[in-house]
Amino acid sequence: MSTNGNGNACYVYPGAPATPGFVTPDVLFQRGIYMNGSMTFDDGKSVTIWGFTDLAAGGGGGGGGDQMGGGSFPSPAIRVTEGQIVHTSLSVNMMWMHTIHHHGIEPSTENDGVGHLSWDVYNGTYTYQWRPQHAGTYFYHCHVNTPLHAEMGMYGALIVDPKPTPGDPAGTKRAFYNGPTYDVEAIWACDEIDPAWHTLPWYAGTCGGDVGLNNLNPRYFIITGVDGASSALTNPAVAVNMKLGQTLLVRYICAGFYPQKISFGGLIASVVASDGRPLPAAWNTGAIEAHSAERYDCIIKPTSTGIWTVSIQYLHWRTGAVLGTAKTRINVT
Amino acid sequence: MERRGFLKAGTAGFASLMTGTGLLSWAPRAEAATINKTLYITAGTQTMPDGVSIYVKGFSDSSADLNVPATPIICQEGDTLQITIINRLAVTHNFVIGGLKAGDPPLVSSGDIAGGGSKTITYTIPTGKAGSYLFYDNKTSYNVFLGLHGGLAIMPAGSSNQLYSGSPTFVKQLFWVFNDIDPALNNAVQNGTAVPTSLTPRYFTINGQTSLPPGAVGFDDPTKDAMANPETQLAGSVGDRTLVRMLNAGMCSHAVHTHANHMEWLTDRGTVRPSVWKKDVLYLRNQLGKIDAIYPFEAPPDAYPPVTTGHFPMHLHDEMSQTAGGGLYLFGAMTDIVFK
Ligand SMILES: [Cu+2]
Repeated sequence: MSTNGNGNACYVYPGAPATPGFVTPDVLFQRGIYMNGSMTFDDGKSVTIWGFTDLAAGGGGGGGGDQMGGGSFPSPAIRVTEGQIVHTSLSVNMMWMHTIHHHGIEPSTENDGVGHLSWDVYNGTYTYQWRPQHAGTYFYHCHVNTPLHAEMGMYGALIVDPKPTPGDPAGTKRAFYNGPTYDVEAIWACDEIDPAWHTLPWYAGTCGGDVGLNNLNPRYFIITGVDGASSALTNPAVAVNMKLGQTLLVRYICAGFYPQKISFGGLIASVVASDGRPLPAAWNTGAIEAHSAERYDCIIKPTSTGIWTVSIQYLHWRTGAVLGTAKTRINVT
Repeated sequence: MERRGFLKAGTAGFASLMTGTGLLSWAPRAEAATINKTLYITAGTQTMPDGVSIYVKGFSDSSADLNVPATPIICQEGDTLQITIINRLAVTHNFVIGGLKAGDPPLVSSGDIAGGGSKTITYTIPTGKAGSYLFYDNKTSYNVFLGLHGGLAIMPAGSSNQLYSGSPTFVKQLFWVFNDIDPALNNAVQNGTAVPTSLTPRYFTINGQTSLPPGAVGFDDPTKDAMANPETQLAGSVGDRTLVRMLNAGMCSHAVHTHANHMEWLTDRGTVRPSVWKKDVLYLRNQLGKIDAIYPFEAPPDAYPPVTTGHFPMHLHDEMSQTAGGGLYLFGAMTDIVFK
């Protein structure tokens, strides 16, 4: 049994060693921690949010070195190009432990961010070294006491762009190498929030005792950090505004723990990739059923102007009952 | 009324709960065979990782055993299954082999097996039935959750390395049988009280076990730790493509997530997928959902410098399933992926 400096955590594996085979990277992301952020919902209530900060942008957690400030939710995106050697450094103080697991990226054990098979970053910095080989949609999240830390908001988008396809004009955007092009991009990380979980300490339950981590009762249903009750219908970070003739790529991330069903409001999506891999053939559908951590890359080419309401239903894992619905819009002018 | 059977099993002196017999060895036969098997419906207790004792029932290998899940059965198209089920308990049970595809009728059903009684089912497997199956008790809607379930693999006739005729090939195969346990149900059955109308599982098992992290009692003990059980863990060298027959006997849907490699997704609920998608998460439905997938054991593609060895988790991404008793993260439905 291991404990942190406060003696409150069990089955954690603190460490911050040197990176095996450390080389100079092509790109570096420096992540810190914030443990006192918040999200306010459309009903005026709010919950505590934890996440990763961008240290290069001066995001020290809002409170200097104590990591007791706030930060963006979801955490700042990591965007790289396939074939790059990437460093993600994670700095954690002596108050808690966290890791970064680059979900869907498949690096060595040491760089996978799974504490019981390597270490939980504590009182120092560990630099995750990896080289993505497959363009597509991923996400990164903490893998310490994961039911709680992921629910608390410790995740962000991870996009791997393809190498340029020869002959493409500068600025051409493709879903994957030689894959479909797009003009407009939406990243919809769909998550559910149970406020009861958002009052727990970082180590909750790790030494035993019932803190309710088997029992998720979500009350809020969000899209990329925005309440899906009504805000996401118009929030410019979520809702899509595009011109007729443009092509939209929706990167849909099932970022919660319960199954979801996303419906495109009557538009037909051409699903071209999932989980960072192109599909052998595009799948045309008006809706997708997905479970926790699945990703689907959806090409949408509206054929007329109009407003389409996209809905995400969140389904109970046992009963299948619809627990809530988040909505946003695709506006085509 | 369950008490009598429980005591009977107890006085038979069963030594230990048997769990997690997933790894299958198989040599195809040129001739069909009759597979004779006797299953004993027994009951007893299983200790959860937080020390809570849970009443369970199983289709066991002997009257002195308690197998949860049952020892898997492997056979081939053309074989005749001749299975005798002996009910060692006091209440009526039954035995059903579910159909291949969602909505298919069962391959075979025993009908009621009264307490203390037995039934023998005989079923000759026609061509076209190759695939992965759950067998279970559906006398009640909840008997399957108590542990009365197991996996059946029907191989294509003459094949040792295909799921169905013409499927992508594999080197090894194993079962992951998942279950979700709400002690309120198990207690009610044990005590003969009303079964709860709403269930909230508190324990989550793979082949009858949970993972146990470093430092925990039983860590790395293959009889206790699903991470260490050679019949559950995915272990191989680069190239050891392994078919995993994922069967959901539990009450919740799950998101099966492998690290280090994407899986080749072959079937969903018995139906062959139109094409093979490579996925790091597979949506395993509840209500007896099934998925077949091949873990390809390719060198982890995104490692730098490149590696061919390591330890990685397979865990369910609906992270509530990674807990026990409402806490104890890392004591849930997870196993080890070992690149040797
Ligand atoms: Cu964390």
